[in-house]
Amino acid sequence: MKEYKLLVIGAGAAGVTAAVAAARAGADRICLVDRDSCIGGVLNQCKHSGFGVGYYGEEMSGTEYAKRLDDMLTQAIDGGADIELRLGTMVTKITENRHAFLASQGCYEEVAFEKCLLASGCRETTLQSLCVAGTRPEGIYTAGEAQKMLNIYSRDVGDDIVILGTGDIGQIMARHYLDEGKNVIAMIEKSDAAGGMERNRRNIIEKYDIPVVLRSTIVEVFGDSHITAVKVRNLDSGEENIIECSTLITAMGLIPERDILDWDEKKQLPDWLTMCGNCDYVHDIVDSVSLQAERLGVTLAK
Amino acid sequence: MKKVIVVGAGLVGCFCARALSKYDIDITVLESNGDVCTGISKAGSGIVYVGYDSMPGTLKSRLCIDSCKDFAELCEILDVRYKKCGSLMVSYGKRADERLSKKLDHGRIGGIAGLRMIDREEATAMEPYLNPNISTALFSEETGTVNPWELCIAAYECAANNGVEFKFNESVCGIVREDEGFKVETNKDSYSADIVVNCAGIDSDKVRELCEKPQIRIVPTAADYLITDNSLSGYVNHIIFHEPEEKSKGLTIVPTVDGNLLIGATERQASAISTATAESGIGILKNLCSEIMPELPLNKIIRSYGCMRPNPYYVDEEGRLLEEKKSISELMLLEDNGLFSFIGVKTPGMTMAPELGRYLTEKVLGVLGDIRERSDFKPYRQGITRFKDLSDEERTSFVMKHPDYGKIICRCEQVSEGEIREAIRRGARTVEAVKRRTSAGMGRCQGSYCRQQIIKMLEEADERI
Repeated sequence: MKEYKLLVIGAGAAGVTAAVAAARAGADRICLVDRDSCIGGVLNQCKHSGFGVGYYGEEMSGTEYAKRLDDMLTQAIDGGADIELRLGTMVTKITENRHAFLASQGCYEEVAFEKCLLASGCRETTLQSLCVAGTRPEGIYTAGEAQKMLNIYSRDVGDDIVILGTGDIGQIMARHYLDEGKNVIAMIEKSDAAGGMERNRRNIIEKYDIPVVLRSTIVEVFGDSHITAVKVRNLDSGEENIIECSTLITAMGLIPERDILDWDEKKQLPDWLTMCGNCDYVHDIVDSVSLQAERLGVTLAK
Repeated sequence: MKKVIVVGAGLVGCFCARALSKYDIDITVLESNGDVCTGISKAGSGIVYVGYDSMPGTLKSRLCIDSCKDFAELCEILDVRYKKCGSLMVSYGKRADERLSKKLDHGRIGGIAGLRMIDREEATAMEPYLNPNISTALFSEETGTVNPWELCIAAYECAANNGVEFKFNESVCGIVREDEGFKVETNKDSYSADIVVNCAGIDSDKVRELCEKPQIRIVPTAADYLITDNSLSGYVNHIIFHEPEEKSKGLTIVPTVDGNLLIGATERQASAISTATAESGIGILKNLCSEIMPELPLNKIIRSYGCMRPNPYYVDEEGRLLEEKKSISELMLLEDNGLFSFIGVKTPGMTMAPELGRYLTEKVLGVLGDIRERSDFKPYRQGITRFKDLSDEERTSFVMKHPDYGKIICRCEQVSEGEIREAIRRGARTVEAVKRRTSAGMGRCQGSYCRQQIIKMLEEADERI
């Protein structure tokens, strides 16, 4: 059985930066695992700009940020860092006696580790989890899936789009669709102001003059095989409107992905486990993830 | 060779086809949708009932009791996951107490094993999260659960493997009596048949009336369900039936074979044939949960779904409802000279389905006369190996032999590429069909992580064909 000093789960900004920082601070036998076939995590589907100012001092796209991570890792490994990169590999289980089970093409392997850094990012809140009434048609995507369709799979989502939630990813998708000539009918927001970062609100919602329906939510979905409309309700007055659409995109926030942990959320984490990046808490920008990861990587090397 | 047409590939249709395929008969199943198990069958509670709910001595009671006894063995033969978790029917007052003891009596008369009344202490020890103000509880050791899709797909694959021909996307639009037998017309083709078996679920009355006068019609009602994340696996150990004090629907909680909790079911008027959920129904379920299982974390709900219930009513020849307003509780198999119609099969339809197949086959053989039993009938069927269900040792050797089973595509349910490829090889052509065969996309992210990759695999498969 292989024995690692540090097992890093997730090779996005958090995992890669922490692994490299730990190696530079003297750690050896580091295993960096990601289920994707390349490093970078969610950055790979972010072709838009707005990344890197806080960490690299220059603005770049998400994919360029991912490239920087790749370069950093390659350089570190070439320079002798003892990091074993295992891509296309999913950690299916970690046990209390510090063993992990790794699944990849042709191989299911048990490994031992001394410390573990969980850097597995986030999941998105789904419309289904809200138990919205009505049918369950096609044409409903989380913003992340819509982004993946656009930038990875080159698939069209439809032309008449309603977006539930005004978070950053929702706004970025809205801008993209408007630039493409699609119709963003409305963004629906339950609180009394649009969400996301101030710079996005200014550059997207205000600049593109996107209709934002505040204090409202979607209470019913229509359409048999494909979505045809949604019912929007004002949370104060109870007034309802039906909005016809061909696509519903949900941007309702992120949930740290800690599926691998069997521990009760109220219980304290074991001392050999550290969380980093969006799986620790949701960061507004990737640069702050890198900063946190660098710090934690050094600590873990001790 | 004698020819039988089965209309509808739900649980009843697939089990009829499987039972008929033991005999030397040419069988074709006509299904209006693109896959099996898309109608009423797809959205039940997945409960294998022991049979104490029906009046003792009735056909329904007998078929349910017999079927339940054989269920574990059947699931073994068909390689279907089956969990004999037992059930706890709980009462919180006098009226419900009486209902429970009546059900216990039914069970005793029917010879159902493993039934007994238990007190509050024992019940709360079995289910610590239940509202503890229980009056009495009826414990049934033999109640179990399966995934209805999995069961239906297994019956379908077994029948197909025994030579039954399944025609998808063919809806029956005409049944004409001929000198000998029938001519069945669909949107695509026409078929001659000696016998027609109508298992068309919610449309079974309409299918029958293509060549017979009205006798029974279906008035559908709708039901809503909630499903929790499988991280709540172990929160509930037995199927919980809550028998309400008032005359209303109680709550049912099923710890499914996939590890989720299934919470159901409302019963409400249906304005149209639709599986849409209603806000009111979901609200009722959530309220009942906070009453019966107050600490159940409702934020662990990952989705809701709706379904139809086919309630059969007697009508006159013009199709007008007869005086008595109550729907028929007895099982309805109408025989019209070679046309057999199951009309309004509902709870415990899934439990009865295997016995319904056997019962129907006897009737068909009675009409067709001397039919040889096939010596080459293959009762077994092999399911798709599930990475998630293998032990660590099994995973190691299985993945070595089948490399694709090491590549996880669905993160939430840990479904591998190998499983998805196998589902596609067996005929899955949509994301939904892959989901039903492998569980991919059934988890907490509801497919937002893996859907696009599965679409890609389906597209690649289409190109190969």
